Amino acid sequence: MKELTPLQASWVLDYVKGTASEEVVRSLESALKTDGAFRAYFLEYLNVDGALSAETAAHPEVFPENVSTLQKPPRPRRWKAWSRVAAGIVFLGLAVALWSRNRAPYATVCAATGTPVPVGQAVHSQSLRFETGAVEFETAKGARVVVEAPAEVRFESGDCLRVFRGKVAAEVPPAARGFSVLTPDGGAVDLGTRFGVEVQNTGGSEVHVFEGEVIAQARGTTQKRSLHTGEAASLNVGASAARGLRSSSFIQPAELPALAAGLAAGQRDRANAHWRTMLKDPALIAALDFEGSQPLEGKHRIAQGRWPGSRAPEFVNVGDHLRVEVGGEREYAQLTLAAWVRLDHLGEPYQSLYHTDGWTANAPGQVHWMITQNATMRLALRGNTLAAGSDEQNGFPDSKTPVLPERGRWIHLAAVYDSRAHTVRFYLNGVFDKETRQETAWPARLGPAQIGNWNQQDRKLSGRIDEIMLIARPLSDEEIRELHDSGDPYR
Amino acid sequence: MQAPDPTPEARQQNFLRLFMACEPAIRAFVRSLVPTLSDSNDVMQEVAVVLWQKFAEYETTEDFRRWSFRVAKWKVLSWRRDRMRDRHVFGDETLELLAHEAETHTEKLEAQREALRECLGRLPAAQRDLVDKAYAPHTRIDSLAAHIGVTAMSLYKKLHRIRTLLIDCTRNALLPRRPQ
Repeated sequence: MKELTPLQASWVLDYVKGTASEEVVRSLESALKTDGAFRAYFLEYLNVDGALSAETAAHPEVFPENVSTLQKPPRPRRWKAWSRVAAGIVFLGLAVALWSRNRAPYATVCAATGTPVPVGQAVHSQSLRFETGAVEFETAKGARVVVEAPAEVRFESGDCLRVFRGKVAAEVPPAARGFSVLTPDGGAVDLGTRFGVEVQNTGGSEVHVFEGEVIAQARGTTQKRSLHTGEAASLNVGASAARGLRSSSFIQPAELPALAAGLAAGQRDRANAHWRTMLKDPALIAALDFEGSQPLEGKHRIAQGRWPGSRAPEFVNVGDHLRVEVGGEREYAQLTLAAWVRLDHLGEPYQSLYHTDGWTANAPGQVHWMITQNATMRLALRGNTLAAGSDEQNGFPDSKTPVLPERGRWIHLAAVYDSRAHTVRFYLNGVFDKETRQETAWPARLGPAQIGNWNQQDRKLSGRIDEIMLIARPLSDEEIRELHDSGDPYR
Repeated sequence: MQAPDPTPEARQQNFLRLFMACEPAIRAFVRSLVPTLSDSNDVMQEVAVVLWQKFAEYETTEDFRRWSFRVAKWKVLSWRRDRMRDRHVFGDETLELLAHEAETHTEKLEAQREALRECLGRLPAAQRDLVDKAYAPHTRIDSLAAHIGVTAMSLYKKLHRIRTLLIDCTRNALLPRRPQ
């Protein structure tokens, strides 16, 4: 076949645009089945299309004008030649060092978990995609950058990282000041220390400053916003706005080595094995790990859980919540609640772990489990009262040790209620914390409930929940410890 | 006596070596089975992840490329099932036919990709520039068209014309040379 007929050309063109009608697709199919020469041409056409994409994959794009005035990275000199060899390498995080020995890398992989990127891997301007895990890079000047999957990024130079999607946290020492992160919605230049950038799948970016100062600028505006410690801003093309800080949303350089060590030590397999054992517990009421592709009911984001590629609902905006209905309207004389949680903000009046929808006098025993403004756990059952001599001021059993120092890490929280023994026992990271005695102790009542909020309004959890388990018996100290130890992502 | 299991690092290096060698062929194979470049990139991304996840099941006696193609075809089929509701896509028979043909001619298609580099170099500067821009990652054809002041349809046609020129060029380059 020398060339396509005009009609065939229009079919092929519609097809590769992704706009072919049913009729065009059927015509194409018929031609492909009956005409070997057309079929060969069609394959060559797609082969050229794919190869052109690979050939140009490493070309730098034009910088958004406004951002380029902030910090224009030096354009690599021999990028055209480079792009030919580096072309089209889509990552799992793939080795390119073989071809780039002659050029100083922009950054080097210094830690990785859950993705097959070798530590020590030199990185230039290739696009890097990660579907699972997290990778830490170090630039030549010593800036450390953790990229958490799912993400797609590209170093434009040793001083500039472009983020197409995903979460990135950077720690920038004085020598690397001026390190910038570009997103489709704008850019951020670090003036020292630590910050995070998130580019959401749904569009829009956010800049969070954990420590120090960052200049953020939305694309299409001339306004530069100076953000200091504890401040955050959303960036959209043409506008930026203040946001609440979410430092724990990001895996930061200090956390990654312990996560990588946990994974390497086989903690994920151990956690899965123990999870399966727990599923066989005859007293199990519900065990939610949020895996699988089944959509969860409620409004929240899905982020990575404790393990590379696992799923955890993340609660960010006012009203975010997850709806569950477990345990029916039955009564449970004994109840253990346990969850893996990653908390961000603390200090809100209440952050919900698990709230039954109801809280009414005619249905005593309804369960509200939360973190209070003192960063301690509370397990409140409707109608219960504290025994004489309890030190709680608010009328509900509270744990003793604040979870504050654990902010920004995965923590295991558990509460064990026994209406027969009139006790509530709290555990933090597998360790017994405190027992509170109850004067009145109703059996627990479950049913329709929310995780991460109550009435979708004022008790939003700030952070992620990875696993939550409800069991109709009091787990022993030893069992709680095993639950924590087997599921701990850190080593 | 059984050989000891390779260390995770050795396994990873082994995977990378095999994957890097076959990546262009796998990518081209996937491209031949889905309509758009963006579809192809999406599927390829999943294929790469699944290959790594299933690498433990890969029997070293089998050709890595053949195994990869099988995984890729399977991913394309599941991708297609997800898209059938909102897009018009090829039926099983056509996909099987294309997959078979793409696999049979993988060496010829590889030679075409090699020849393409030479042919790209021969494109007039304006066309070469257009290719660079249109195929750069994350370029949207409608935005690029607006930027250079033409309609999207007109840009699509220009690109189609360039692709057919490149096919002609690669075919010429691959013609058997007459003995001197």
